[in-house]
Order: sequence, then C-alpha cells, then structure tokens
Amino acid sequence: MDKYLEFTGIGKSYPGVKALDDISFRAEGGKVLALLGENGAGKSTLLKIMSGDQQANEGTVSLSGETLSLSSPAQAIKAGISVIYQERQLIPSMSVMENVFLGALPSKNGFIDYKKLRADTVALIEEFGLPILPETPAMFLSIAHQQMVEIMKAYRRDSAVIAFDEPTAPLTDTEISTLFRIIRELRGKGKIVIYVSHRLKEIFEITDEIVVLKDGRYVATLQTSATSEPELIAAMVGRDIGDTYANLSRNEKYGDVLLEVRGLTTDMLRSVSFNIRAGEVVGFAGLVGSGRTEVMRAIFGADAIDSGEIKFDGETVKFRAPKDAIERGVALCPEDRKEQGLVLWRSIEDNIIMPVLAKLKKGIFLDPKASEDLAINEVERYSIKTPTVDKIVAELSGGNQQKVILGRWTNKLMKTKLLILDEPTKGIDVGTKAEIYQMVCDFAKQGMAVIFISSELTEVINVADRILVMHDGEIKGDLTREEATEENVLALAMSE
Amino acid sequence: MEQQRVSRLQRIVRSKAFTLFVLLAVLILGFGFLSPVIKRGAMFFHSNTLKTTLQDLSIPAFLAIGAGCLMVSGSLDFSQARVGAFGGIIVAAGIQWWGLNWGAAIIIALALSAIIGLVNAILVNELKFQPFIATMAMSSVIYSVMYLVATDRTGQIQSTINFTNEGLTKIIDWNLKIGSFELPGTVLLLLAAFVVYGLLLSKTRFGRQLYLIGGNATAARLSGIDAKKTSYFLFINCSVLSGLAGIIYTGRTRQGSLLALANDQFTGMTAAILGGISFGGGSGGMGGAFLGLLVIKTFSKGLAIINVNTYLTNVLSGALLLAALTFDYFSQRSQRKRIGI
Ligand SMILES: Nc1ncnc2c1ncn2[C@@H]1O[C@H](COP(=O)(O)OP(=O)(O)OP(=O)(O)O)[C@@H](O)[C@H]1O
Ligand SMILES: [Mg+2]
Repeated sequence: MDKYLEFTGIGKSYPGVKALDDISFRAEGGKVLALLGENGAGKSTLLKIMSGDQQANEGTVSLSGETLSLSSPAQAIKAGISVIYQERQLIPSMSVMENVFLGALPSKNGFIDYKKLRADTVALIEEFGLPILPETPAMFLSIAHQQMVEIMKAYRRDSAVIAFDEPTAPLTDTEISTLFRIIRELRGKGKIVIYVSHRLKEIFEITDEIVVLKDGRYVATLQTSATSEPELIAAMVGRDIGDTYANLSRNEKYGDVLLEVRGLTTDMLRSVSFNIRAGEVVGFAGLVGSGRTEVMRAIFGADAIDSGEIKFDGETVKFRAPKDAIERGVALCPEDRKEQGLVLWRSIEDNIIMPVLAKLKKGIFLDPKASEDLAINEVERYSIKTPTVDKIVAELSGGNQQKVILGRWTNKLMKTKLLILDEPTKGIDVGTKAEIYQMVCDFAKQGMAVIFISSELTEVINVADRILVMHDGEIKGDLTREEATEENVLALAMSE
Repeated sequence: MEQQRVSRLQRIVRSKAFTLFVLLAVLILGFGFLSPVIKRGAMFFHSNTLKTTLQDLSIPAFLAIGAGCLMVSGSLDFSQARVGAFGGIIVAAGIQWWGLNWGAAIIIALALSAIIGLVNAILVNELKFQPFIATMAMSSVIYSVMYLVATDRTGQIQSTINFTNEGLTKIIDWNLKIGSFELPGTVLLLLAAFVVYGLLLSKTRFGRQLYLIGGNATAARLSGIDAKKTSYFLFINCSVLSGLAGIIYTGRTRQGSLLALANDQFTGMTAAILGGISFGGGSGGMGGAFLGLLVIKTFSKGLAIINVNTYLTNVLSGALLLAALTFDYFSQRSQRKRIGI
C-alpha cells in the first residue's frame, strides 16, 4: 500500500484574516498533487503548517494514518516532510555544499568531513546537471541556481513528502526541465509530491491531481488529465476570464523615439543598442544571465556604464543614481522583490509611497491623509488582499507582495514616461495576471513606453508589440509580435 | 476587499511606547510607595527627585537622539562619549588657557565635533568601513588628540581642566521658575530637542527615508532615496549632539575632563534600544527613546534614593538592560514566528 498524507479539518487564523478554514484532502504517494488558488488563497500557509513552521489552530496532518505532531521544522523533517519555500532560505555566506547538507553535515572524529561533504555534493550537482561548484558561497550564485540549491537540499533528505512552493518562479526553461525530471523521478520512487504554482502550463505538464483553494477554503479536487484550463480557472477565480491575450485591448499609435541606447557596454553587456518609442510595449526575452536585467539597471542608473550613450526624451542623459532616473520619468520595478524591492518590515503604505515621498508634502511634513489615500488607491487597483494599508509587507502572501511593488512603481503620482517591468508577474495568479497585461497596454495608450521582461516566454510574446532577444550580453534579434513565435525567440536566445 | 482605516487608538496601543509607558508608571509607583518602607526617611515622591532626574537626563538625552537617528537608518556611532569629552576639553582649554570667550569656545567645540562626524561618514560611505569599526577607531583617535590638547605649557597632561566663567555658568545653570518649582533650562532644551527630532522622524519625508533605508538600503536606493546624503547628515548630527552633551557636562561641572561622559558611553544607545529602535534599523522612534531614557534614569534614581550602593546599581541597571533586550528579542521572535520568516 502506498503512503499518503492526509489533511483533516485544518484551520489557521492570523489577526484579522482566516488564512485556512476546514481544509481536508489527501495526497497520495507516487503522484504529484497541485495546489492551486489565487494570491492569498492559503497555499503557502498550508505548506508552512506541513513544514512545522506555523501551527494550525484546528485539524490534523497525518502520514499513512499516523497523526503527526508538527510543532517545529525539525520535527517535520524527522517525520519525513521537506518543503521548498517560496522565499529562498539559504545562508548567503555559506558554500553550496554547506547549505545543501545544513543540519546533516557529515563528520569524522567530531570535525566536519569536508572530503565526504564535497564528494556527496558533487554527486548531487551532477545528478542535477548544474554548472556550479560546491565551494561557491550561495550569495554568488544566480537566483535560479540558488533556487536549485534549495531543491537539492530538500532532495538529499530523501523525505517521504516533498512540497514545492512556486519553485519555477525564478527559473528558466533549462532549470525547469531539470526540475521536472527530478520531480518525475521522485514520483517514480513513490514519494508524495505537492506542487504549488500559478503557471497552468506547468500544472498540466507535471501534476496528476489538482486541489483548488479559494479564500482559505477547499473548493475541489480535479484529475489533471480530465480537466481543462477554463475549468480550472473557473474553479479558482469563480468566474470565466476568457482568453487573456486575445482580449487585450492594445495601443495602436506610437509617438516619437523616447529611449535610444547606443553601444551600451558594461562588464556584463557588449555594445547593446536599441530604440523604444513612446506608446510601445517592448518585451525582452532571453535566458537567465543573458543580460536583460543588467541593461535595465544600467539605463536606470543603478549600475555604472563603461561606455555607450543613452538618449532619453531627446537628450543625452547620464543617470548617476536611480534618483536621477526617477526624476526624469524612468521607473524600474525590480525582479528580486525581497532583496531589491520591498522593505519587508514596513507597512504597505510606506512601501508604496517610497519613490514619491517628495510629492506627499504638506508644509514641511508628510501628508498622512494623502499618503494613505495613495496607498489605498493602489491596494484597490491591484486588489491586494489586506485589511489595512498599515499591515507590514512581510505578512502578505507572495503574490500580494509582488502587487505592492507594482503599486509602488505605477502609482498615480509617478510621472513615468518609461516604465520598466522586470518579471512583474512573478508569483501572481492568473486572474490578476490578465489584469496586469491590460494595465500594461493601458499605460502604453497613455503614451508611456513600457519594457516588459519575463522568463515566461508565452507572456512576453503575447503582451509585447516588439520583442528583443538577448543572449550573453548582446541583442540577437528584434522581432515584431507577428514574427515572434516561441521557436524563433528560443532559437535566437540560444544562438551562439 | 474593503479597506479599513487604521484607528489612532489601535496604533497607540500596539506601539512599544505604550509598553514603556506602563513600565515607567510601574517603576514610579513602585519606588514611590516602597522607598519609605525599604529605607526610613527615603522619599521618592519629592519635588527634588523630579528636578534632579530631569537634570541627569539632559546629557544622555542628546546622545540618545543622535544615536537613535543613526540606528533607525541601520547605522551606529560608538564615538559619542569621546566626542562629548573632547568638546568639553576644547571649551575648558579654550576659556582657561587660550583666552577665548565662552561663545567662541563653544562654537569651535561644535565645529570640531561636526568635523569628526564628517570623517566618520567618509570612513563609512566612501571607504566602506563597518560603522562599528570606523567609529571605534575614531574613538581612539579622539582620545589621543585629547591628550595633546590637555597638555599644558609645562608639558604636564591635565586629566581635568578647571575653569571659571560666569557667562557660561549662568547659561547652563539657568532655571525656569514655575511657582516654587525650578525647571532647569537644559531640560527645556532637551524636551525641545526630543519634540523636534520626534517630528523629524515621524512626520517628515526625511524621517520616513531613514526608516526605509534602515529597512532595506538597496530597495531604498532603487526607489530614489539618497542614502549617502542621509548618512552624512546623520553622522554629523550625532557628533554635534554628542559635542553638545559634553559641553553641558563641562559647563555644569566647571571642568573639562578626559573621562567625561564615560559612564554614559552606552546610555544613549541603551535608551534607544529600550525604546524600540533596534540595531537592525527601520523601527522605533524618539518617543520610545525618550521613554527608554526616563525608565533608565528613574530606575537608577530610585535605587540611589533607597541607598543601593553604586556597584549594585550598576549591576541592576545592567540587569534592566538585559531584561529589556530579552523582552525585545522574544517579542521580535514571536512576531517573526507569527509571520513565518
Ligand atoms: N504572518 C501573517 N500574518 C498575517 N496574515 C498572514 C500571515 N501570513 C499569511 N497571512 C495571510 O494569510 C492569507 C494566505 O496567505 P498565503 O501566503 O498562504 O497565500 P498563498 O495562497 O500562498 O498566496 P500567493 O499565491 O500569493 O503566494 C493571506 O491573506 C495572507 O495575507
Ligand atoms: Mg504563497
């Protein structure tokens, strides 16, 4: 008889929010079960309860009929449960091998046995097929590789249950296929695999069963092979959202060239040149590490430029800091929300008003009413799930945190002419994604130029009017939406 | 979701200041009613207690304000006490040895303090030293320079420089008479300072920037906040306030001393931490720091009144700090635990 993990009547409350309410279902061994639901539906909370990080107020979790006591992460690991969180948990200054074997470092005579540690890690790295070294400190790895290390860490524990919370958000296709190979292998070994993602494509590709949650409540269990995208979305959102891309109402008329980049070179970029007109939505495609983010940071004044010229709004500009760029009307919504985006321990309001503090003055003081109004406006526009705007951002679900950053960079006091969105839909649910795509088009209609970066290829080629493909610090192609099929873009992204 | 407005009462009760307020009330009532019981004739409830406590407050208060602002932005300054002593020495030597008038001596002392702050800021922002290392090193440098300044014409090092100057004394010891109660002028100054800096932190754009920098410096920079400029201001501000504390001390004791403020080396920071300005930055405020300071000084005053000896007082004050830090640690941990990060 295969193993199974059973949730019975799980309930969890936070002040002012019922995150989970009477959740019961069963996950079976040898199957991959998807947890699906809108932002704030309670998926991560459920995983945190499994991992012993949070305790349920009601209900029990049992493994093959045996009720588990999950009052700490250590207990959960001992019981055979590994969870890969939405937010990375690596220790930045420690090496890959130490991170992977954290809590189970091999020892000999009371000392760490580095030889064995290294050998074991090398074996794992090879199994995963990654281009990384065991000695590298985690902070020097790309976000994608950090995520893979996180997965190796859970994998090597050989737990009976392994749960992934949006594992592919920071990954590109190469790593995703590795991850899926690993997941299939786990399934083959009869493990219980739980998989959380907002990407329906992946859910159809890798899972066997889907549990849908809504507002903390259980909605339904569906067999992946017997359901369809519309059916899933309807269960999740409670309404039909139609064909996201076909229904977009796009901007038709472009203005003058707004941004002109000539021969931009840094240690990561080689002579990057391109133009963007006002009212245009330009997508940047490419693999992780292809230099998309670096181009944006250079334009924004966040990184120094070795050579090259940037013309913005008819003038040659040299932004020495993001501050200068913002003053001229450039906004950059960064890809890494935890490191570069959010001030986690401050309120939603503080996070939203950050770039427009100067405009919220009343005499020498900040205007508290105006700033609360601005925040409320954004919270409503993006339907951020929170009772008040003074809730600290750390308490929001991942997708809602992402919405706070979007709210900041698109708030109505920003006088943005060029909006750069680096992975804006990371962790955002399907319903809201559709709304964000439309917003992007609306910004373009208002005359803004929008740069849209995403690792999800489908998204880039369907939202953008024009797609620039990058590879290894260079621009390899400039395609219109009509020309940009997935094959064309990928071929360019991997060209040598 | 319908957005609720946040009620003012909720904000107050949830704040750290509220907890401190309760703690302070407990201390005052405790000492008030217990002092006559513990020691015959000891009176905590006496108008003099209030006056002397307030007077003791003024020196560490300026340290707490300077340290607090820096800590909110995620930085710190360990050279405070030395800067203060240095300021005092300059004023004393200036008046007594160099024949300056007291106004000029004060201006020079404050200007030198500002320069020290500027150097701290350069070390931290341009040469990328850890604030801890930079200001510790600065502290030793100042100490050596003080020796040079305090060397008299015969080549003797004077660990204290006594001086007499009526003008300065008059200013420092000036009291505001309210009926029969005399409120020291320095107390008025410190209250004003707390109010001004409190407003600066909580109500202005500049203040909000400090919290955001303390919370996540990278995110703040990417949002167009000039963290460097802010840091320069904060270090200079902290040094000038420390210099001011040293000058008040010198004015009151009528001597410049190499060891001035040594006892208050950590009082400012302690008060700030007690008041909820954590080392990591991004939280707390002036109200909390002020209450923290009141708690510390009420506690030591109370112990003095019931005649606990100095050593035991030091031990107990240390214990109070440890208790506060432990409380802080657990309340933060439970908050993190609740949030799950
Ligand atoms: N520590 C906390 N304090 C208060 N509320 C919380 C806390 N953690 C989660 N919540 C709330 O519980 C609800 C469920 O959050 P959870 O993180 O489980 O959502 P999710 O389904 O993972 O969403 P996402 O798709 O955005 O990651 C949200 O409304 C969230 O704001
Ligand atoms: Mg989540």
